[in-house]
Amino acid sequence: MPANNDYREAQLSIESVGKVFTSEPGLLRSLSGRRASGGYVALEDVNLRIEENTFVSIIGPSGCGKSTLLNLMAGLDEPSSGQILMDGLRIRGPGPDRGVVFQNYVLMPWLTALENVIYAIETAQPSISKGSAKEQAREYLSMVDLDKAMGRYPREMSGGMKQRVAIARALSIKPKILLMDEPFGALDALTRGYLQEEVLQLWENHRVTVVLVTHSIDEALLLSDQIVLMSSGPNARISDLIDLPRIRPRKRNMIETHPDFLAVKQRLEDHLFRETRAIEEK
Amino acid sequence: MTKSSLSKPMGLLVSIVSVVIALVVWQILAKQGLLGKNFPGSLETLKELQWWLSDPFFNNGPNDLGIGTNLLISLRRVMIGYSLSIVVAVPLGLLIGVSRLASSSANPFIQLLKPVSPLAWLPIGLFVFRDSELTGIFVIFISSVWPTLISTSFGVQTINPDYLRVSRSLGASQLRTITKVVLPAVMPNILAGMRISMGIAWLVIVAAEMLLGSGIGYFIWNEWNNLSLPNIFVAIIVIGLTGILLDQLIGALQKRFDYQL
Repeated sequence: MPANNDYREAQLSIESVGKVFTSEPGLLRSLSGRRASGGYVALEDVNLRIEENTFVSIIGPSGCGKSTLLNLMAGLDEPSSGQILMDGLRIRGPGPDRGVVFQNYVLMPWLTALENVIYAIETAQPSISKGSAKEQAREYLSMVDLDKAMGRYPREMSGGMKQRVAIARALSIKPKILLMDEPFGALDALTRGYLQEEVLQLWENHRVTVVLVTHSIDEALLLSDQIVLMSSGPNARISDLIDLPRIRPRKRNMIETHPDFLAVKQRLEDHLFRETRAIEEK
Repeated sequence: MTKSSLSKPMGLLVSIVSVVIALVVWQILAKQGLLGKNFPGSLETLKELQWWLSDPFFNNGPNDLGIGTNLLISLRRVMIGYSLSIVVAVPLGLLIGVSRLASSSANPFIQLLKPVSPLAWLPIGLFVFRDSELTGIFVIFISSVWPTLISTSFGVQTINPDYLRVSRSLGASQLRTITKVVLPAVMPNILAGMRISMGIAWLVIVAAEMLLGSGIGYFIWNEWNNLSLPNIFVAIIVIGLTGILLDQLIGALQKRFDYQL
């Protein structure tokens, strides 16, 4: 099927996507004959187009469905309405064209750092030889500065190291899009700052499309080309799109001094404050 | 895990002392006739133990085998029955854990058969197999299959769903996810089940062999017919020590697969 002309420049396009969660298990629901309309509407009519090689952050108050949206992009969950297109083709499940980084790293505890990455490579390319899978895994781990920790098990690594393995694993399948779900949320402030810099550099050196879910304004400002603002759930929608000045390489002090960044920061803070107040007053 | 302030060598010393005290009390009670007339004391029993262990592998016909020979016969039966039970329990447990259809169809049988005494299977085994050797193995199999089966399926049902999500996000097939993610993830559960199964298999052998013609269980039966209580105690000690050894064997495997999740 040829790609729809309207979406040629967008690599990933989210079209009128809605997501309803029903609390009843499938069997019970079909027995009682009730429709899904009684469920929790997490997302409603979400439209978004993500261009190739951009860094997009999705930011919103907690519980607004940002992670749900990311899961839909990853294909780990299906939208209840609407569709998501990747290079013009509808996403019907997970695939090696999208790499996912989860908040809690989720490394296999019975595998070393190297073996965790090898597992990903061999899954994405079943025909690859053992030797070249290992070689590639080494390359990706060394990209995230883990040359010395390749033989370590997850229990022998700090949170920051584990997340770097997870990033190497997600990149090792050579995805077109890297989807990151609050990847630094579980880390202490210093490690978080360090890892943000590392991701920033990684992205500037090896351009790939990144979608980052975060609730940190500074993180979004430091890393993104575009920030997607979401309203509070239920019935969460995209309430604003902000293009950031495409100044690269970007430095941390830039977002604290550059007037354009400061203006955006103010706007983001106002939005999040409003949305959070809306939640608290519900 | 600090149980108390006892150091390790100190703990060992206390264990030895407690065994010695028990032996002394046993000897006194027996000699005072408090355990019945002619009840053997610990000294007599230990002397017998020493005699049996000095030449464990003699063979003077089916009713006069060395205790080591009998032990090996029993161990062989246990190993065959136990291995069969693991070979059946692990794949079946995985299937039951993954599929609701499988668990719903298997559950009534598991619940019904699990509490049945091993002895109840003996007549059925004898009737079906018409062979005491096969019957012994069958009884061990049917008694030891449940803990591993249940523990494996429980492990699958309680597996961290994040592992499955990661595997799916990488585009892994269902088969690959089961062999490369589910199986290693439930390895600790499988081994915990295997440890209990091993205990049961060894527990059952004595009962099973009382009706068979050889092995350590038959040895006890035979010595009862000879009215040789000391020899029965010898067998009990040997069975106990072997049980500890088997348990430790799987315990060592368990340590190897402890990922400290």
